[in-house]
Amino acid sequence: MNNNSEIIARITGLLYPFIIIFGVYIILNGHITPGGGFQGGAVLASVFISRYLVYPFEDIKIKSLQLAEKLLFFSIIMIPILFLFTGFNYSAGQANSYYLIGMNLLIGFKVCFGLTIIFFRFVFYEGEK
Amino acid sequence: MLEKVFLILTVVLAIISISTTKLRRAVIYLGLFSLVISFTYLLYSAPDVAIAEAIIGSALSTILYLVALKKFQVFTIYYTNYDYNEINYDHVTVRRGQILKDIEKFYVDREMEPQIIYTTENFKHILKTKNYDLLIYQKHSDFYIYGFEKDYQLDAIEGYFMNEDHGNLDINIIRCKEGEYNDA
Repeated sequence: MNNNSEIIARITGLLYPFIIIFGVYIILNGHITPGGGFQGGAVLASVFISRYLVYPFEDIKIKSLQLAEKLLFFSIIMIPILFLFTGFNYSAGQANSYYLIGMNLLIGFKVCFGLTIIFFRFVFYEGEK
Repeated sequence: MLEKVFLILTVVLAIISISTTKLRRAVIYLGLFSLVISFTYLLYSAPDVAIAEAIIGSALSTILYLVALKKFQVFTIYYTNYDYNEINYDHVTVRRGQILKDIEKFYVDREMEPQIIYTTENFKHILKTKNYDLLIYQKHSDFYIYGFEKDYQLDAIEGYFMNEDHGNLDINIIRCKEGEYNDA
């Protein structure tokens, strides 16, 4: 980890797009196939975490990630409330699947940001001498 | 049938991972355990749980454990030889393996994590540039062990080697001051 291996760097760089596509696939198909927001978010977080193995420097803005996570959490609470109390779900049947996909996306990004924050806090701030 | 094979495999892997002496191996066995148990979840028709277990168990927690091990400060031991390609006396080779095993056992008994690096570089070069905790240098049948003066483990190592019989090999322990030779 302290001296960067060329092989690991190249292979991880090749794998990034596939990991991202797989994570987004799991999130978008969460309401009909196995998977969902949490699992897809964890896959997306593994992109950031495996990035640390290749490039172990602190250049991720944890503050802005935290802000984004808080905003996502707020919208995860507010959107179901609006959706239920406006009575929109009774009028349009197609809207239910869009609602599920949208909520899965929000949860997925929130889990991704949360796991990334936990990991980078642990790596760069805990146990320093 | 297949379920039972994988269930037995999980038990075996769990027992192996708690009975290994080196932490790094235990982490890898835990990752394997997670993979096998996620496949078992799939066979019991719970693909949702299987995905979560495979990602969190074998990717995220393995990397977290490895980073934690790195922070735990692994002891780095360099081993180098005077005439690496010319050694062909059997008794010396056997004794050398014995000494390295003894040092590894010494650290494992004290619940530390030794990491032995074999290298063919000149020992003066290592002494100057590398960041080591212990440097073992072999010249024919003489062993020189370089360590730091402030490292209190060095006295324990000396006592450890005095008590045990090592045949005709000479073991010299040399204490360096902090930063005497080393720039790293």
